[in-house]
Amino acid sequence: MDNVLLLFLIVPLAAGILALLVPGKARGPKELIILAATFLNLLIAAVFFKTGLTYSFPWVPGIGLEFSLRLYHFSAFIILAAAAFAFLIALYSIVSLAEKPYAKQFFAYFLITLGFVNGAVLADNLLLLLFFWEGQLITLFLMISVGNKAAFKTATKALIIVGITDLCLMVGIALTGHLAGTLTISKINLPLDALGGMAFVFLMIGAISKAGSMPFHSWIPDAAVDAPLPFMAFLPASLEKLIGIYLLARISLDMFQLHPASWISTMMMIIGAVTILLAVMMALVQTDYKRLLSYHAISQVGYMVLGIGTAVPIGIVGGLFHMINHAMYKSCLFLTGGAVEKQAGTTSLDKLGGLARKMPITFACFIVAAAAISGAPPFNGFFSKELVYDGALERGFIFYLAAVAGSFLTAASFLKLGHAAYLGKIREENRNVKEAPLLMLIPMVVIALGCIVFGVYNKLPLQALIQPILGPERLAGHSFAGWPAKAALVIATFVVLAAAFLNHRFGVRKNGSGLKASDHIHYAPILRGIYDRAEKRFFDPYDIGLKAVNMLSEIAWQCDRAVDWIYDTLVVRVTYACTHQIKKAHNGNYATYLVWSLVGFLLVVVFLLQSVKM
Amino acid sequence: MTSLLILIPLFSVMVLNLPSRTMMRRFAFWLSLTLAASQVCLAAFFGTGLWSSPLDIYGSFFRFNLAVDNLSRIMLLSVGIVVLTAILVGRETIKDENQHFNFTNLMLLVLAGMNGVVTTVDVFSLYVFMEITAVASFVLIALQKERDALEASFKYIVFSALASVMMLSAIALLLMTSGGTGFAGISQSLKSLPANPLTLLAMGLFVCGLFIKGGAMPFHGWLPDAYSAAPAPVSILLAGIVTKTLGIYTLIRIAGFVLGPNYALNSILLLIGALSIVAGALAALGQKDFKRMLAYSSISQVGYIVIGLGCGTPLGIFGAVFHLFNHSVFKSLLFANSAAVESQTGTRNMERLGGLAERMPRTGATSIIGFLSAAGIPPLAGFWSKTIIVVALWQAGFRAYSSVAVMAGAITLAYFLSMQHRVFFGKIKEELKSVKEANFNLLLPALFLAAITVGVGILFPFVHDTFITSFFR
Repeated sequence: MDNVLLLFLIVPLAAGILALLVPGKARGPKELIILAATFLNLLIAAVFFKTGLTYSFPWVPGIGLEFSLRLYHFSAFIILAAAAFAFLIALYSIVSLAEKPYAKQFFAYFLITLGFVNGAVLADNLLLLLFFWEGQLITLFLMISVGNKAAFKTATKALIIVGITDLCLMVGIALTGHLAGTLTISKINLPLDALGGMAFVFLMIGAISKAGSMPFHSWIPDAAVDAPLPFMAFLPASLEKLIGIYLLARISLDMFQLHPASWISTMMMIIGAVTILLAVMMALVQTDYKRLLSYHAISQVGYMVLGIGTAVPIGIVGGLFHMINHAMYKSCLFLTGGAVEKQAGTTSLDKLGGLARKMPITFACFIVAAAAISGAPPFNGFFSKELVYDGALERGFIFYLAAVAGSFLTAASFLKLGHAAYLGKIREENRNVKEAPLLMLIPMVVIALGCIVFGVYNKLPLQALIQPILGPERLAGHSFAGWPAKAALVIATFVVLAAAFLNHRFGVRKNGSGLKASDHIHYAPILRGIYDRAEKRFFDPYDIGLKAVNMLSEIAWQCDRAVDWIYDTLVVRVTYACTHQIKKAHNGNYATYLVWSLVGFLLVVVFLLQSVKM
Repeated sequence: MTSLLILIPLFSVMVLNLPSRTMMRRFAFWLSLTLAASQVCLAAFFGTGLWSSPLDIYGSFFRFNLAVDNLSRIMLLSVGIVVLTAILVGRETIKDENQHFNFTNLMLLVLAGMNGVVTTVDVFSLYVFMEITAVASFVLIALQKERDALEASFKYIVFSALASVMMLSAIALLLMTSGGTGFAGISQSLKSLPANPLTLLAMGLFVCGLFIKGGAMPFHGWLPDAYSAAPAPVSILLAGIVTKTLGIYTLIRIAGFVLGPNYALNSILLLIGALSIVAGALAALGQKDFKRMLAYSSISQVGYIVIGLGCGTPLGIFGAVFHLFNHSVFKSLLFANSAAVESQTGTRNMERLGGLAERMPRTGATSIIGFLSAAGIPPLAGFWSKTIIVVALWQAGFRAYSSVAVMAGAITLAYFLSMQHRVFFGKIKEELKSVKEANFNLLLPALFLAAITVGVGILFPFVHDTFITSFFR
């Protein structure tokens, strides 16, 4: 009975391979496969949701590799969420990628990725986890690279960044296995001493880079432009957040004893706060629908890392709740972006405008999701952010301040985005734009409704899904469902949102249009220089790394030249100089040669004689 | 029976020059060829036992003091191989009938002289045989009476005279101190007597005389001219075996077995060897004339032999002997190739050659084998002997000399590659388009020698088991 867990792997992987095999030109087979597979996956995720199952057999006993899967409340929650997103996005991509030549490949990679994600979530052995984790790296590369012409470069960038962080994960796994003496995740419980802390940091790098946190984020905005759109909704917006934060929660809550007092907790909070602020600052000045969203995909990770990093129950609950909320509203936002791209042919904000009347349902979904991400009540984002604020405030005012400032900028940038894309005057070339097809609307609407349900009725996700993860002893009888407990924080949030709105009004009046509403921040005295450099990728760790590598290769090349010069030039010149001298000495005059012989003879005799006297 | 090695060539010369010499002319070539070939076979396939068997009646007439040990046997083999090669090449390159007959007679004399040198056990007889060989060589160099050849021959005579004076004085001094001229007697008395200035002077004189004969730096002044100006088969003879027998073999015999081992003498040998290796190779790098380049290369290779000898250990001496043999083979091969190139194109200037491998594929291919062996590239014969020398030097503690020997291998490869590139590789020059492959008489020795080089290299384990072990017994 327990081996039904294998279905989570077999169904998507087999379907993925099958999708690669069917003829790609014909419409029908491949769409049928992806729909059937994702639906079946969703079905079994729902059926086995409440059951706790484990399944294991020894795979490579020599290195402690056990093929062990474990379905319990946390992994079941992630599996179910991933399955739901996969199904909805599959539904959406059938239409959105209908005419693309790479649709077949994309569907196949999509399904294989889903299989690997299921495997990584279910894995109860660190090596097995690593196996599935690395497998996603391959499909990640493939999924990006099928996009436009620049996609291959972006795919390489993603491969290198994620590859390096996966390497960190590998080191962390090795270290953890060494410290704990076992690789079975559910048996590991380590203190955060010096070595343990190191292992934690390595594992954390693997986890948060998968979630897209700074400083491992820089491929995401590029992929937003280059990769096929459903990719963004599927991986960076939802599934990668789910498994990245899942792993972060596993290591923070189960595998290591993370306490609020430890330096690691502070470090995580700093990473979270910095990620929130820097990414949202970048988001604010973007002029491309998808690229703007992608920076938010980074920024919002900051809230999750910050929340889990607080190591206090309310923060952790907030972080995890934010994870699922973010996956919902961000994938919804990307889907609206995809709808706009498909209908209007562009995502560049200066070519959009006034689409609200042409695409009312898309606009409505956008409003819900944007309000959710900005943290406006009564949508889901509001509640999870309030929990994170509360946790952050408990640990330090500065973290709270960073989180709130992030919210201000998030709201400002979404006001700008909505204003520029949907409001204002419609452009001449967009007059004939129509509402997106039904199959694309269904996923958006479903997710947008989800945002409302998770907000209004937040008892459901919090009590059924998230609070069990922490366990009864951590919660100590608290429940975080319902309206936020601290009225002061709520008032502060309202003030911030109002300020964002006023700021937007001010920007629109000052700069003339919704698109330019954030220009007064963009071109503020000091920020302007920073933004310029950021746009030129001065701060992109990948580019900095590339420059460093180039510098190293340059140095190595110069060394190589120097060595080459020694062999090719110096040695040859010295040799020929000697040759020249020897040739000059051989002047053909045998008197000279006789003198050489006689001198040689004298030296030989003198040497022989003096050798005896000594 | 060893004396037959000297007597048969000697009597052959007499018989050929009887009044019926016009009749004998046709016969002379085949006679010399047979003698050389049978010497190769006997030396290669029969052990030292054969040579010491007495010849009763005839032995009472001729009382040479001769003996054949393993060293002599290897030398007899080398002598046979090189003389055979020279005779074959001579048939093709010396067209004048009269000259060719003289050439054959002189070859037989050289053969007799060298056989004497390598088998005698007495310093004075040694000197006599050396003179026989040397005098025949003077004439051979000047055989065609060209101006360069006459000048080269004269240079050789001058230097040889100096060497003779030195060696005769040395023999006189040795006679004074030890009361005899036999190898064994000298060796015995040198061991029993404390070192005194007279014997040391004798040693210095003798060794320097041999350096001149062998052409080690800085005693080599006559050598490049003689090698390059001589007719093709004589170049093969001189470079391949004459200087090696007169100079180097004798040096091994005298310095290694009779006078030595002596620490000071070994230091001199090491220094002279290293100098010859490096300076010879550098000089070879700058040559345009094919044969002159090979001549300087010979000096460099002699350096390897001398340095191996100077090492003083049995392994070093064996390496020297082995390299001497290999050098005879590959240097004869390269000179034979140069003879083929010269006879087909009419020039030895490497600047005017190029791309000949296209027209003369067999010559080009054997040349590759020859120079790779000379540069010490595995698995050819030269690799093993050079390696033995380098290892022997390292083991004896002469690390610096060992490194010099290895480094000079790079220069060796450099000048040989440059030679191969300029003569055989690259695009063929317009004026060389009509060149044909050399004919059979020139190709046969080249193929034969190349086969020996490859065979000895690949069958080194066999060579090791039969020669090296017997050498150290």
